[in-house]
Amino acid sequence: MTMTRRPFLRSLCGLVAGVAVAGVIGSTDAHADVLANVQKTGTLRVAVPQDFPPFGSVGTDLKPRGYDIDMANLIGKELGVKVELIPVTSTNRIPYLTTGKADLVISSLGKNPDREKVIDFSDAYAPFFNGVFGPEDVALSKVEELDGKTVGVTRGSVEDLELTKIASPKVTIKRFEDNNATISAYLTGQVQFVATGNVVAAAVNDMTKLRRLGAKFLIKNSPCYVGYAKGEAALGAKLNAIIAKAKQDGSLDAIAQRWLNAPLPKDL
Amino acid sequence: MFVQFSTWDIVRNLLEGGKWTLALSLIAFILGGGVGLAILFARIARNRLLQAFAKTYIEVFQGTPLLMQLFIVFFGLSLVGVDVSPWLAAALGLTLFTSAYLAEIWRGCVEAVPKGQWEASSSLALSYAQQMRHVILPQALRIAVAPTVGFSVQVVKGTAVTSIIGFAELTKTGSMLANATFQPFLVFGLVAAGYFALCYPLSLYAKSLERKFHVAR
Amino acid sequence: MAYQFDFAPVFEHTNLLLSGAGFTLALTAVGAVLGIGLGIVGAICRAWRIRPFDSVFGVYVEIIRNTPFLVQLFFIFFGLPALGIKMTEWQAAVLAMVINLGAYSTEIIRAGIQATPRGQLEAAASLALSRFQIFRHVVLRPALAKVWPALTSQVIIVMLGSAVCSQIATEELTFAANFIQSRNFRAFETYFVTTALYFVMALLIRQLLMQIGQRYVVGRAG
Repeated sequence: MTMTRRPFLRSLCGLVAGVAVAGVIGSTDAHADVLANVQKTGTLRVAVPQDFPPFGSVGTDLKPRGYDIDMANLIGKELGVKVELIPVTSTNRIPYLTTGKADLVISSLGKNPDREKVIDFSDAYAPFFNGVFGPEDVALSKVEELDGKTVGVTRGSVEDLELTKIASPKVTIKRFEDNNATISAYLTGQVQFVATGNVVAAAVNDMTKLRRLGAKFLIKNSPCYVGYAKGEAALGAKLNAIIAKAKQDGSLDAIAQRWLNAPLPKDL
Repeated sequence: MFVQFSTWDIVRNLLEGGKWTLALSLIAFILGGGVGLAILFARIARNRLLQAFAKTYIEVFQGTPLLMQLFIVFFGLSLVGVDVSPWLAAALGLTLFTSAYLAEIWRGCVEAVPKGQWEASSSLALSYAQQMRHVILPQALRIAVAPTVGFSVQVVKGTAVTSIIGFAELTKTGSMLANATFQPFLVFGLVAAGYFALCYPLSLYAKSLERKFHVAR
Repeated sequence: MAYQFDFAPVFEHTNLLLSGAGFTLALTAVGAVLGIGLGIVGAICRAWRIRPFDSVFGVYVEIIRNTPFLVQLFFIFFGLPALGIKMTEWQAAVLAMVINLGAYSTEIIRAGIQATPRGQLEAAASLALSRFQIFRHVVLRPALAKVWPALTSQVIIVMLGSAVCSQIATEELTFAANFIQSRNFRAFETYFVTTALYFVMALLIRQLLMQIGQRYVVGRAG
């Protein structure tokens, strides 16, 4: 017993020490000017989703495509630099940014106060029309009527944040890894309702005959923001200027029409 | 807005992902085998310090998820100013994981060599190194082949977590396709078939080696 | 891009992490007991060539060992409802773990049974022990004693592998970690804490199984 206990303690101490060292060194990391660096290297590295249509998905060539990818290319064009897309998941997208492996995260990010302590957000670049969907023969028109029901949602997505905010504790929210799991859970009857994007629901209805997604009610339009590292004021100002211009000259509207089948809302 | 995927599009892309799985598995197995051997020697050494080091090493890398190990190697080292490429991080993470398990499997094999063999060989006045080289290891090796090949199957499947650091291997490719097509049964059925095609020959090989060893004994 | 570590936003969710860890342990415990039970049955069918179960278990073992746990879980959770079998994510997770561990332990325990010399069986039979007594004392215990370390390792592998269950919304430890970091974007802090928790759990399970092994399996097998 004593023989085996010692390595236990020793390894535990090792782990704790490792974490502590990482903390100390990490916090003294040098400050870098991302915008200047991007212009110097001529490359903008953007973390984009690859499993979250219509914002980021893959084509038959497995290359990323979607609203977020078009947005990345738009920013790259305005900056006059090449865009390097880094496909990410909801788990690793922020670490890519905070470790400087990506310059921007364009991954249909919603914001909240906790998130804003870790990274900075640009002005809104995309609307997110999402709602709660369910069987067509079940009447449901507002969030209060969800009490006692089970709703599936993709963990960490904008609709997850919004639904968590508005739903009462009597609603059972099941948070799945990605849209595929969320939608599959609905189609196979594992959850009664799902919260997801309107475009996703429409596409799923086109593709499958298993169980239809009937629109129940809309969750308030919650916009998405471009994420960038803390303390990069120059980059933030430039991003906001680009987004404002794209809203004015209709190029953002074109992206919205293409991927969301809807015009860009005036109040975005 | 949603592209149509033919079954061939799905298969073609999964094959592409399968290549990554294969490459990552080979790296894990070759490097992990080498390091695992070193850890094994430390684990069965007569030096207490080496033993304790090897024991801790095995406990830490067997006791934590490979996904978290990769995450910490790839992103964590970056935070302390060491920029690691995804390949290096994958190689490092998979090596740590594989070597810890292999060292432990092989230790069991060394210990399975009957005590009498040690006693007999030391009565011949062989040094520790000589005993190892000429008496113990050749016997342990025979016992070790089957479980080692068996473990390689777990390594092949274990490479799936490298998607956390950006590798689009078989499982990740499958999940991208499932999210683009919403046909999880077709996609993941094919993913399973892909792993089976990679792993089953290894399992069969392990079985035949196991049989050979039993006959030889 | 100076990153400031801050563990406070993670520890705000301590309850979630602890309940996640508790659920992971519970999943592992149920999975281990039933999985090893299944493994014992499978191993006997395989080792004694009880037809037709030996070939059924043979196919089962190969299918499970050569395909990823994630796919097995998906087919249970999303596939079985098509056959009219619906279950909660917890039931699906437990079932997947039992099926997975059952396959591995079938093979592990089979090796142990086959390593027991035949002479022992004959000796036991000559002592006029009942079939059940022979099975219990002469076959099973020595076999389990031989492979106990391997079984222990496999249980830990399954415990770490249960992280995948978070994908179907099972609220175990990895689910808690991913939920927390999706809210506060503190991926590093969350993963450091989670990794430490997994590590402690792995050590606990190893200790516990070693004690159980010493006390009930190895000790009396003599």
